[in-house]
Amino acid sequence: MTSIKENITLISDWFSKSGWKAHPFQKKAWKYQLNGYSGIVNAPTGSGKTFSVMLPIFAPYIENKETPEGLQLIWISPIRALAKEISLSAEKAIAAYGLNWKVGIRTGDTTTVERQKQIKNPPQIMITTPESLHIIMSSRKSKVIFDSCQVVVVDEWHELIGSKRGVQTELFLSCMRGKHPELKTWGISATIGNLPEALDVLLGPGQDDKRILIKANINKKILVKTIMPDEIERYPWSGHLGILLLDKVVPIIQSASSTLIFTNTRAQCEIWYQKLLEYDPSLAGIMAMHHGSISKDMRAWVEQALYDGKLKAVVCTSSLDLGVDFRPVENIVQVGSPKGVARFVQRAGRSGHSPGATSKIYFLPTNSLELIESSALRKAIKEKRIEDRTPFVRSWDVLIQYMMTRAVGGGFKDVELYEELIKTFCYSSMTKDEWSLLLNYILYGSQSLRAYDEYHKIGKTKDGIYLVNNRGVAQRHRLSIGTIVSDAMLQVKFVRGKKIGTVEEWFVAQFSPGDNFWFAGMSLEYVRIKDNFLEVRKSKKKSGKIPSYMGGRLSFTSQMSEVLKEKIYEYGRGEIKDVEMKKLIPLFEMQELRSRMPREEEVLVEYFHSSEGFHLLMYPFEGRNVHEGMAALLGQRLSKLLPISFSLAYNDFGFELLSDKQIDVDKILTKELFNPRNLEQDIQASINSVEIAQRKFRDIACISGLVFTGYPGKEKRQKHLTSNSRLIFDVFREYEPDNLLYLQTYDEVMAVELQEDRIYTALERIRNKKIVITKPEKYTPFSFPIMVDRLREKMSSETLLDRIEKMKVELVK
Amino acid sequence: MKEIIIQNEKLVLLPQKAIYWEKEEALLIADLHLGKIAHFRKYGIALPPQSEDKNWATLSRLIRKWKPKKLIILGDLFHSQYNDQWENFVDMTDRYSDVEWILVKGNHDVLRDNHYHRSNLKIYPYALQMSPFLLTHEPDEIFEGLYTLCGHIHPGIRMKGSGRQSLRLPCFFFGTKVGILPAFGVFTGLHVLHPEQEDKVYLIAEEQVVPISI
Repeated sequence: MTSIKENITLISDWFSKSGWKAHPFQKKAWKYQLNGYSGIVNAPTGSGKTFSVMLPIFAPYIENKETPEGLQLIWISPIRALAKEISLSAEKAIAAYGLNWKVGIRTGDTTTVERQKQIKNPPQIMITTPESLHIIMSSRKSKVIFDSCQVVVVDEWHELIGSKRGVQTELFLSCMRGKHPELKTWGISATIGNLPEALDVLLGPGQDDKRILIKANINKKILVKTIMPDEIERYPWSGHLGILLLDKVVPIIQSASSTLIFTNTRAQCEIWYQKLLEYDPSLAGIMAMHHGSISKDMRAWVEQALYDGKLKAVVCTSSLDLGVDFRPVENIVQVGSPKGVARFVQRAGRSGHSPGATSKIYFLPTNSLELIESSALRKAIKEKRIEDRTPFVRSWDVLIQYMMTRAVGGGFKDVELYEELIKTFCYSSMTKDEWSLLLNYILYGSQSLRAYDEYHKIGKTKDGIYLVNNRGVAQRHRLSIGTIVSDAMLQVKFVRGKKIGTVEEWFVAQFSPGDNFWFAGMSLEYVRIKDNFLEVRKSKKKSGKIPSYMGGRLSFTSQMSEVLKEKIYEYGRGEIKDVEMKKLIPLFEMQELRSRMPREEEVLVEYFHSSEGFHLLMYPFEGRNVHEGMAALLGQRLSKLLPISFSLAYNDFGFELLSDKQIDVDKILTKELFNPRNLEQDIQASINSVEIAQRKFRDIACISGLVFTGYPGKEKRQKHLTSNSRLIFDVFREYEPDNLLYLQTYDEVMAVELQEDRIYTALERIRNKKIVITKPEKYTPFSFPIMVDRLREKMSSETLLDRIEKMKVELVK
Repeated sequence: MKEIIIQNEKLVLLPQKAIYWEKEEALLIADLHLGKIAHFRKYGIALPPQSEDKNWATLSRLIRKWKPKKLIILGDLFHSQYNDQWENFVDMTDRYSDVEWILVKGNHDVLRDNHYHRSNLKIYPYALQMSPFLLTHEPDEIFEGLYTLCGHIHPGIRMKGSGRQSLRLPCFFFGTKVGILPAFGVFTGLHVLHPEQEDKVYLIAEEQVVPISI
């Protein structure tokens, strides 16, 4: 038996022989893992975080060059593209220790032959994704594979924790721990605001003291530069494109070996790519585009070319936020607001990869006020104010899917599974009652017991084992494992030839054959739709629509709104120092002249009349989502006081209530309107929460198996079993409103979409401040961008029949 | 409830998504899709089983209220393959045996004959002529001199208002030659129509039939 100290020497021997020095955080992580601890290593990319958690598994086997039987280490990575890199690192270590271990990759791309080999003869190390692990769990042979495993590593835990894939990870871990309580779990995470909570989510809420959070304390230098408009007076007050500053981006591209240009939406990405090529045709061939709708092959090609240093620039979206490091990248350009500190830091970190190098990021404001963000982001980075990633709790949809997975993969027992589940963070608050509703639901297809009908999916044996015996049911379930639900998509391909990518069905619905559109940087002509393919050919036309995509409307995170506020208050304190803020002084002065620049102890309200009606604007600076809820709440409470209807608009700075009636704001706008009491009821009464929930329910219905999306690759879907989630939502609303899945939909709307917590805090703040009402003669720099926002919602307290009275039938599509 | 005159015949449009034809004392109903929920459930999709009950309740309420001589079903009575909900239907035709039960078959009516025989149904495979109407399932059956009444489409209308308001509601639709009934069954969905000037549309909202001007 070798001691821990000797084991560490065995591990680090390779480091010293290669002339490397183990970083203190690596040594610490080795020591704790060898001591039987679980934990999280908090370290940036390129710091040696992989080896800090990977190497201890080898220690006991190095001296005698042993190869243990079966799987020893499971490495969960949220991104398939990273699997190869991790596998290379593992093989490097195996070779250095002179071992004969095997490393296997198991993702959605792994062939069936390879999968079967992995089951018959498991590798010692397996690199995989949460989805793939659940698919293995749905196999009756999973026990054989998982039984010998000693350590599970969850890489990029910060990426998983705020999603339902994180819940899937928790569930997999709870299953492993149920069988092997001594299992060690190690997470690797970039810095997030709630690291201690991240540890609880990974290991289950504080059950043992053998857990530790190890911080690498490696500070990566980030240089934030701003691309300044020449004259702030001439730069637009609203807009999200930023093309006016394009001529200043070209020199940045030319000055570096490689530059990534991050845009916020796929449409913006297409436009920037096109305009850059028009402006500087010499970029043809050395500039590429990368976004989530482009085909996998094309994306892989771009990534490889970038890795090999063959590309001078890539215009991209969040699709390149994560993944393999591209050493040649020297510069990052962020077009428009990144809306959050973490996202900005993440993107900055995609440059400057050589050890000790500085990451360099250029912020390009798409309207004047965005200049404040640049200076706010710099402040946030300096003060290390990174957002939390809020874990999902009580996600019944994922749990129902998992119960099915377990029932397919050999069955589960009621009490045993319950005991495993309440040790997870996600389900720790689940009551026995809720658990029996869930059991009823999967067994009888209904929470309420009723006379036997032909519902059958799962059986219960005499020994109380919940089990699926039907092969058809099992197969359908395996195909629907996963938590990422995408819109209905069509594949885009050339008439005779390769696939280019995917577009949403509703985008295609606007076209007829012969129409032209821009996609993947090409002008394409719509030829026809055949099966699930949109067939196109190249076109020479210069004009054409650009697919716009849903989901481009991100909202400020709470960290972002905090720093932004601090920056805005600098004006009132006379403390403006940053170059961006100085540039904005003329604009601030105009705001102060026409209305007021809000001071720290004030909330600004503007009220004025225009040809459109009476505008009431308020600026809490809390982010778009929060303002959406606040606007609806205020509108609802005002309409209780007097008969009035409003049209609502909002952005990250504030919101507007527009109405055709004049109100006495000074009298009516009391603090009582901002009382957080009855918040939930008032919000649900004010916004059409049913409509939002209906949209949200789609994901829940897919994950929980209420919507079967069909067999992949089979053109004819099972038509007789397809239905849309809207219809399903309506039957639940009417006939089983206490269904846990139905209730979960509203919880998610309140917590995730509207962020009830933040609305609550924001209301509390307003109550502690002075409401300052100004009556500008016309629009102000703050109000203009909100007023021109095209996406407005109308709220009204009228009945359905009254509403119909005022509406018009849609005659043409 | 709304009375209208088509081809000089008085038809009463009911918010339960049925038509009462006064002269013939007949109830017309289309697209019941009975057993659809049970069908989904049989394949392991856990929709609330209570939702199936609504169809039965509405149907018997209609019969009790209007006491029709004839109950004419314009196709898609039962959703695809046999399941135990069919027995409920057989029971119902027995219970109301003084009603003449008539089915004009639709594309979903594919049960084996012996199942139909066990009920009191009189079956017309394609269409039933009852002047001035031709009663069919699908709207493309047109007969010179007759006005077609049918189902199949699950007609609905999208209403748009200012400020991004939009509503989709089921409707009765009457064109120049064809009238279409809304789908009777729960869990049946809508197909949005785009009416022309000469068409007449009646929406169903909050248990009321509402005429819509186009």
